[in-house]
Amino acid sequence: MSYVKLVVQRYDPERDEKPRFQEYIVPYRKGMTVLDAILYARDYLDHSIGVRFSCRMASCGSCGMKINGKPALACYTQVSELGTERIVVQPMDNFPVIKDLATDFEEFFEKHKELMPYLVREDRAEQENPKSEYLMKPEELERILQFTYCIKCGLCYSVCPTVGTDKLFPGPQAIAQAYRYVEDVRDEGGETRLNILDNPHGIWRCHFAGSCSAVCPKGVDPALGIQLLRRYVMRGKAPRKKGEGSKPFTK
Amino acid sequence: MGDKIMTERKIMMIQYVTGILSVFLVSVHLLYQGVIVPYEKAISFSQVLSLYRHIFYGSMLEILLVVILVHGFNGLRIILLELNQSQDWSKAVDIITVIATVVTIAYGTRTVILAVFGGVS
Amino acid sequence: MEKGRERNRRGIRGWFDPTVPNNLERWAYFFQRLTGLGILAYVIGHIGDTSFFVGGPFGTGPNQSSWSFDLSITENVVGHLILIFVVLIVTFHGINGIRLILAELGIMVGKPSKIEYPYRPSSLRSVQRHIIWVAIVLAVLAAIWAGSILFG
Repeated sequence: MSYVKLVVQRYDPERDEKPRFQEYIVPYRKGMTVLDAILYARDYLDHSIGVRFSCRMASCGSCGMKINGKPALACYTQVSELGTERIVVQPMDNFPVIKDLATDFEEFFEKHKELMPYLVREDRAEQENPKSEYLMKPEELERILQFTYCIKCGLCYSVCPTVGTDKLFPGPQAIAQAYRYVEDVRDEGGETRLNILDNPHGIWRCHFAGSCSAVCPKGVDPALGIQLLRRYVMRGKAPRKKGEGSKPFTK
Repeated sequence: MGDKIMTERKIMMIQYVTGILSVFLVSVHLLYQGVIVPYEKAISFSQVLSLYRHIFYGSMLEILLVVILVHGFNGLRIILLELNQSQDWSKAVDIITVIATVVTIAYGTRTVILAVFGGVS
Repeated sequence: MEKGRERNRRGIRGWFDPTVPNNLERWAYFFQRLTGLGILAYVIGHIGDTSFFVGGPFGTGPNQSSWSFDLSITENVVGHLILIFVVLIVTFHGINGIRLILAELGIMVGKPSKIEYPYRPSSLRSVQRHIIWVAIVLAVLAAIWAGSILFG
């Protein structure tokens, strides 16, 4: 393979009536990622291609898109692994398009924030100005560790069939992160999160299609987190009440 | 089934329980109607009449009617709620599915009552 | 912006998505929905149909001629094919439904663990996935069985 045919979906909602496809011939080099190919096209062939990226190493979660129809991180997908010279790149579904491949994460982050993705303590003063670390056993960390790897790339959100129709459904990322904090022994805000999720457009609208876990590039397994969290919502009881979180470390 | 009358958690609990009951009762119904009693006989007038008037089977049919319709119409409600999120739509979906459930259960129950207590002609 | 926002939401066509790799659960989700709607339609029809046992909407009690009329409409090749199809979708919906209830209560979906590359989500390789295959196989067997009873 000496070159790749990169087909980019072009769409500017401000100007275009509907999306169109534009083809670029990009010279191939060993180890080239799809993001490399897009950046080559943008730098040398067409400066107007809209794409978001940052770290180029699957850490920042900026370059999620559909590559040959499959949702993936462009920086994490080698051209060689696709096994084709023609690569079609499109923006992720379920996200508003800002331009071409760049999508708007406002709604996604709003939903994430709504579920309080941070430790909540009854003693707010102590929480704001902690004097020491909160205690946590290794086995307690293991229960939440994989969910902390979420890079908020939005791939799970883009494939969720419920998000595709229900604008109020928080989506797999936000709910899995809610589980991460509800299960965290240092947290005392579980019941508030469960109440937020127990509504006609909340956690019950997940039907375990599992696509979120299938596309997650970091192995977070949001579907697992959602199902485990649902047990608590069903019982109407968080694992800890206010004041029952782990205590600050003392010598 | 409105969210103000019942929390979604309780509605889903009902959905799970009616789902499990439906699986059990439909299995009994299908096995009885096609396997335990030969199909030709199972649909004959005298056999159907005796089943309706059998205290356990007649009661089972009534319970099956209720659980399968509650489960089915709540399932439909869930699908419809996911299609549109306006307050009016949600309210309309809740009201229409509740009415549909009640009306269909009432019509099915009428069949059971008439089959049990009505005069044969 | 609003136009672009709405254009990209998948809508109902997102129910079915064969492009997601390693995702049998997505197929099960789609067919659970479809079979559920199909079963509800059949149940409503079945309630209407069985009411002819008591003479239909205006009947007053068990009525032999009304029931014979009903059977003359439903007991034919098309009616039997519909029944076989109903057995197929009911069996799939029932078994897959039990799987979903258990999974949604956190049973058979695995548990959080230390993850290593290549990532293989525990929820998608747990017992629950085998049950989808069990549902498919039993649904086909049940339909064959129903066919042998109705056409045998």
